[in-house]
Amino acid sequence: MLQMLTGLAVADFRDRVRRPAYVVVLAAAVALGYVAVPDSDAKWMIMQIGDHRGVYNSAYVGMVTALAAGLWITLGGFYIVRNSIERDRSTRVGQLLAATPLRTSAYMLGKFLSNLMLLTSMLGVLAVTALIMQLARGESRDVDLLALWQPFVLIALPLVAMTAALALLFESLPVLRTGLGNILWFCCWMVVSTAGQGPGLPLDGIGVNSVVRSMYADMVAQHIEVDGSFSLGLTYLDKPLGLFTWDGFTPTAGYVLGRVTLLLIAAAIAVLPALWFGRFDPARSRPGRSAAEKQEPAAGTVQPVFIDEVGPYDAASRPSVATLLRTRPEPGAVSLRLWAGEVRILLQGVRWWWWLGAGFLFLCGLTAPELHGIIRVMLPLSWIWPVLIWSRLGTQRHEHGVEGMLGAYPAVRRRILAEWAAGLTVTVVAGAGPLIRLIAAADWLGLAGWTGGALFIPSLAMALGTLSRTHRLFQAVYVPLWYSVANGLPIFDFMGALRDSSELATVQPPVTVVVSAALLTVVFMAGVLRRFSRD
Amino acid sequence: MLDLVDITKVYKGGKRAVDDLTMRLEPGMLGLLGPNGAGKSSLMRIASTVTRPTSGKVLFHGEDAVARPNALRRALGYLPQDFGVYPNLTSREFLRYMAAAKGVSARTAKARIDELLELVNLTEAVKRPLGKYSGGMLRRVGIAQVLLADPQVIIVDEPTAGLDPEERVRFRNLLSELAAEKVVMLSTHIVSDVESVASDIAVMAGGRLQRRGTPEDLLRSVAGQVWEVLVDPSSVPAVQAQYTVSRLVRTTEGVRIRLLSKELPYEGAVQLTPDLEDAYLGIIRQSEGGRPARGFGERPLRAGAV
Repeated sequence: MLQMLTGLAVADFRDRVRRPAYVVVLAAAVALGYVAVPDSDAKWMIMQIGDHRGVYNSAYVGMVTALAAGLWITLGGFYIVRNSIERDRSTRVGQLLAATPLRTSAYMLGKFLSNLMLLTSMLGVLAVTALIMQLARGESRDVDLLALWQPFVLIALPLVAMTAALALLFESLPVLRTGLGNILWFCCWMVVSTAGQGPGLPLDGIGVNSVVRSMYADMVAQHIEVDGSFSLGLTYLDKPLGLFTWDGFTPTAGYVLGRVTLLLIAAAIAVLPALWFGRFDPARSRPGRSAAEKQEPAAGTVQPVFIDEVGPYDAASRPSVATLLRTRPEPGAVSLRLWAGEVRILLQGVRWWWWLGAGFLFLCGLTAPELHGIIRVMLPLSWIWPVLIWSRLGTQRHEHGVEGMLGAYPAVRRRILAEWAAGLTVTVVAGAGPLIRLIAAADWLGLAGWTGGALFIPSLAMALGTLSRTHRLFQAVYVPLWYSVANGLPIFDFMGALRDSSELATVQPPVTVVVSAALLTVVFMAGVLRRFSRD
Repeated sequence: MLDLVDITKVYKGGKRAVDDLTMRLEPGMLGLLGPNGAGKSSLMRIASTVTRPTSGKVLFHGEDAVARPNALRRALGYLPQDFGVYPNLTSREFLRYMAAAKGVSARTAKARIDELLELVNLTEAVKRPLGKYSGGMLRRVGIAQVLLADPQVIIVDEPTAGLDPEERVRFRNLLSELAAEKVVMLSTHIVSDVESVASDIAVMAGGRLQRRGTPEDLLRSVAGQVWEVLVDPSSVPAVQAQYTVSRLVRTTEGVRIRLLSKELPYEGAVQLTPDLEDAYLGIIRQSEGGRPARGFGERPLRAGAV
């Protein structure tokens, strides 16, 4: 049993780490380690208490890097590991495993361990990066490995374990398996990463509150006036922070027990899907199939095979290719039909409730009384609704295996443009309500912002989809980007929603158009390079 | 019409899938035979412009199809071994999209798609999304896609995989009809798929072209070399070690073995008329230096197995 479990986990882990994307994942971990311990002149900070930060000694560097890992690897890591069951489904290895004595609970536990190993490997890279960063920043040359790495075990590890387990849970549930789950995770992460820092939470929340109290105590002991609250996340600095010395904290038994409990809860969540997981049985996972099968010959009925290659009757009665294929195909204008085809492919399988929601948002955008409210609220809402549809751009040919056939088709650039135009169409239609109002009000600056957004969204989706060949990357990038705009952060305002309060309002539309053009160039170049370097 | 000149394909890691292969294709059917891993699919992908060769040229009517692939792509119908479809589109919607991608005008595409759906016998299922089709039906959609633009060159990679016997026969006949005026290149490792329809057969092994000729040419290469012997089950391993065995049937008298040998292998061996499978095996074994291969399922029979 244990051998099966570890065998499954290790094989799954090996399969993942031998993909080129794993190098990107580790590089991202290194980058996160760098961002977490910025230079004293840097304009950003991950963690601060009021207008102070700790001296970069082992305890503080370890803590800030582990907290950055706990914060950002739980967000990004979820999107990285949430395909462990799906890979078994698409590679059909799942069907082989289903026929082995492996218990479903052991399968789930194995997948959980594989997820955990992958995320832990990121933590490992971060832990080493933290050591390098402490030495590189040079504020304290005394290396205390226990103080440096303890936060990774106590704080980051339980959080990534929860991420690994919840990714598996999401994957096992039909509704959460879709892009809706990706969006929901972002929302959950937002709530937990902010509310989880508070005092008095069960199991000390995400584990940061005890750390903050220890830092406050040390600051008071050093007679530093604490002005402002604790902040965890990427914040912009307009002036350098003051320093205090923090030598770490000794976790209480209760604190350690809380972290261990979190690990156990993660393991329990991971095993939970065994209750409903269908072991890759198509009859259990695709209820719609049975209706189609009814139209096929009855299963189990042996049909006599009649092979008549040259029979005189058949030869006379069967129409030849020449008699059936009478129409000689002629070349003609296809751009419009190609666009229509791409729109159809993009919107395939979209459910009625999506159209209902889109219609509601259109009406609200059209009829809301104030233009400011339309641009500030209705436009962002209209341009988050199709996120799952946009995320299909650049990925569908690969995900559905049509690429092999289309690789031998002419006019590749025309197809790419048609696909982008289909994405633009969805964007324009989704944002049509605010667009009409902007035109009616002759708000040309607003219209410029809207146009920038309409060009940028499908370009970003195409670029990320083409590069990653999966819809998850766009979802992981676009939702936080959109969230920053919806929250009033002007620097990423790609749709002109904050133009009334932003100093960058006039600059942003042309910048967005240039970025969109650059993204489209990436799409075209990626296609060319892929053909040159295939296999 | 289509020339593959000195084609070599080396994959990352150094695997040489196609090794300095030259081949000219004219209207008619070329059956490309070879064991798994012989380089057939790599060659097909190169010929259909999907993969670029490491070196060598693909010339279509004398034009370089590697540097400027569009002319060949407009005249090409390609069906890869594994392919997918958009599961929520119907067959007609899917073919309409593919026709547009191929550059076929709206007026002719509509009529052509209806005719193709009739040809591949999918008219009844035309309203169902492709996600509800069986494997054989999907392959028929793939075949219809091949013929969308009335191609001059048809390249089909293992097209009968997954088809039932009746569909295999129907598909072979269809390709045979098309080969009257088009270049048809069909790859397979199943000899019976090509022996009744291909006028031209090429055998590949180890990335190289081992032999090319008409079925008669290939048969001539093993004329007088096919024998049948009846041996005791305990002797089977020794026979397998010494000769290329093409068939092996257990009977109550012993084991009846069909083998290849340039000379009389055993006293009492009966000479047989060679078939294409004998020729194919003879060529493959020759390419391996005459070493009788032991593949999956070929195991020495235990003495007393009769």
